[in-house]
Amino acid sequence: MKINVRGRRIFAVITVAAMCLLLQTPYCRGTAAAYDTNRISISELIDEMDKYDGMSVTVKGEVIGDIMIRGEYAWITVNDGPYSEKNLESGAEFSGVSNIGIGIWIPSGDVYSIKSVGGYSRKGDTVEVEGVFHRACSEHGGDTDIHANSLKVVREGYVIPHPFSYFKLLIAALLAGISGLLIYVLVKRKKKYTEE
Amino acid sequence: MNLRPTLNDFRLIGWGIGRVVLSVGLIMAVPLATALICGEWNVCTDFLIGISACLIFWLGTEITCRVTLDLRVSHGLVVVSAGWLFAMVFGAIPHYLSGHFSSFLDACFDVMSGFTTTGLFLLQDLDHVSNGLNMWRHVLTYAGGQGIIVVALTFLFVRTSGALSIYLGEGKEEKLLPNVVNTARAIWMISLTYLVIGSVFLFVALKTCGMTPGRSFLHSIWLFMGSWSTGGFAPQSLNLLYYHSFTIELITMAIFVIGSLNFALHYSVWTGKHSEIWKNIEIRSFAVTALVVTFFVSLGFSKLGVYTTINEFFRKGFYIMISGHTTTGNATVYSSSLVNEFGVLALWAIVFAMAIGASAASTGGGFKNLRVGILIKSLWLDIRKMASPDSAVLSEKVHHLNDLWIDDPLARSAALIILCYIAIYFMGGLLGVAYGFSPSVAFFDSVSTGSNTGLSAGLVSPVMPVLLKVYYTLSMWVGRLEFISIFALIGMGASIVRGRKVGGS
Repeated sequence: MKINVRGRRIFAVITVAAMCLLLQTPYCRGTAAAYDTNRISISELIDEMDKYDGMSVTVKGEVIGDIMIRGEYAWITVNDGPYSEKNLESGAEFSGVSNIGIGIWIPSGDVYSIKSVGGYSRKGDTVEVEGVFHRACSEHGGDTDIHANSLKVVREGYVIPHPFSYFKLLIAALLAGISGLLIYVLVKRKKKYTEE
Repeated sequence: MNLRPTLNDFRLIGWGIGRVVLSVGLIMAVPLATALICGEWNVCTDFLIGISACLIFWLGTEITCRVTLDLRVSHGLVVVSAGWLFAMVFGAIPHYLSGHFSSFLDACFDVMSGFTTTGLFLLQDLDHVSNGLNMWRHVLTYAGGQGIIVVALTFLFVRTSGALSIYLGEGKEEKLLPNVVNTARAIWMISLTYLVIGSVFLFVALKTCGMTPGRSFLHSIWLFMGSWSTGGFAPQSLNLLYYHSFTIELITMAIFVIGSLNFALHYSVWTGKHSEIWKNIEIRSFAVTALVVTFFVSLGFSKLGVYTTINEFFRKGFYIMISGHTTTGNATVYSSSLVNEFGVLALWAIVFAMAIGASAASTGGGFKNLRVGILIKSLWLDIRKMASPDSAVLSEKVHHLNDLWIDDPLARSAALIILCYIAIYFMGGLLGVAYGFSPSVAFFDSVSTGSNTGLSAGLVSPVMPVLLKVYYTLSMWVGRLEFISIFALIGMGASIVRGRKVGGS
């Protein structure tokens, strides 16, 4: 009997776990599917503004430049081109494109989760932003933007190391040396002409 | 008789070019100082290499090109046209060393774009460039706005006879003062005064927009330089759209409109002749063409219905139109929006505005309002003559600092230069179409480069064909120098090949 009771308990636990899994799996799939449907590259948004105007979209990319707080809301810029994954200062290969970014209008309280903003010395945080895309935002004088509903930092930024190039310094020193030599020659020549 | 240039001619030209290159090295001190202050050590070495290279070239020309002759007009014109090419090559050294260009040609394209105040760029990953390099991009365009030759004249051609020919060769026909060196200094005085005033306004606006004081300081200087020079460079890849600020758009618009005015007009107003603003043919011509283009842009907008309010029209349509007309190139929309959101009618109206361009002897490019004014007045005179009896004596004049009576040589020279511009616009457009771009995009970008504007409908990119990169680089150079000094360079090339040897039979 004891075995039976234990067996039932184990069965019950396994059943509940399986049900949870069964319930959870479609939910997870549903979420992923929803993200996949709405997540879109910024270049596609820009190329097909008409199609996505007023739609809820999700973009993922690097926060760059500045966080410009304007009262209750703030502007951030998110880039998602090839250089948002790895930029040239970090040693990326040339991708042949410029940066591709978009302005995000977001409640000021949400920007405090952003710790690193991209630039020469830093790789910005990678964020996932869900919001409504505007081809020509009437609230912002026709700007193309996204009004964010949520922002999630998915990868933290970091300081971009810039190891000093001694090779470049050597070249600079060499050229400075040649300059010095030429100045000497020029002064000598001028002296000679003056004497003549 | 066409004479082959002598060794002394080459020496004289080499000596002049050496001084132009030295002036490029001198202005590299500004980004070097920026990089030093910001602790960007690798960037410092890039500029040290650039400065040393300029110095070596100059010293080389001083040693090998020593000659006691004076610069003649033909020498001066060749010094200008060839000097700009050398300045481009030496200016591209820090660009290339930065690691943000996939080829030296791309770096040269950006430097020529900066010097000619065009504002297009092939630099990749702009949002991660150093403050030093960003300063260099903007100093290039600021110096180019006054003219590289003006930079050189200010410091390096003092007490040089023939300085006038060098000054005229850079597309500036008016002198502010009797002496060209003093004229160059007056141009700098005007530009530096506005730099201080404009940067203060922009700093306050940027700070109010939520930027940190340090970033506001740098961005205010860069935005001023980009706008004043009608270059259109901005420190972020989104250009003016990055700031989402009506105030900043308004300030930059005021700066580039003032920057697009003739330096002689500035000087005239500064010295108390305020009525010149209302009487000047360039201002009137600009007002009329701006009004006409605004009408067509609004017509285009009304057809598409994307930008529906007056606020949107002003910040997108009017801003881009004035930016194009002054050949600035600052943008508040994406490149693709010029095609998709503006529509064909508004796009071609902006092409028309860019083609005309700004004032003569200003920081801007294009045909110039003065020539358009002269041509329209000349046309009006012809119409009046046709409608009048043969015995009638008719005349027309335009007011540009002084009254200029319209005659055939004046009208012909204006028409000739306009035709030359149309030719470079057209060839660039055809080349773009030949590479498979739509005519609207190809002609938009071709006119933008030839008129030194810098707006793009999407053709100019780091992956565009090499031939287009070369053509656009040359187009920017030719458009900025207004053909005459280029013709002198071509003429010299022809003399080398076909000219008769001096002293020969």
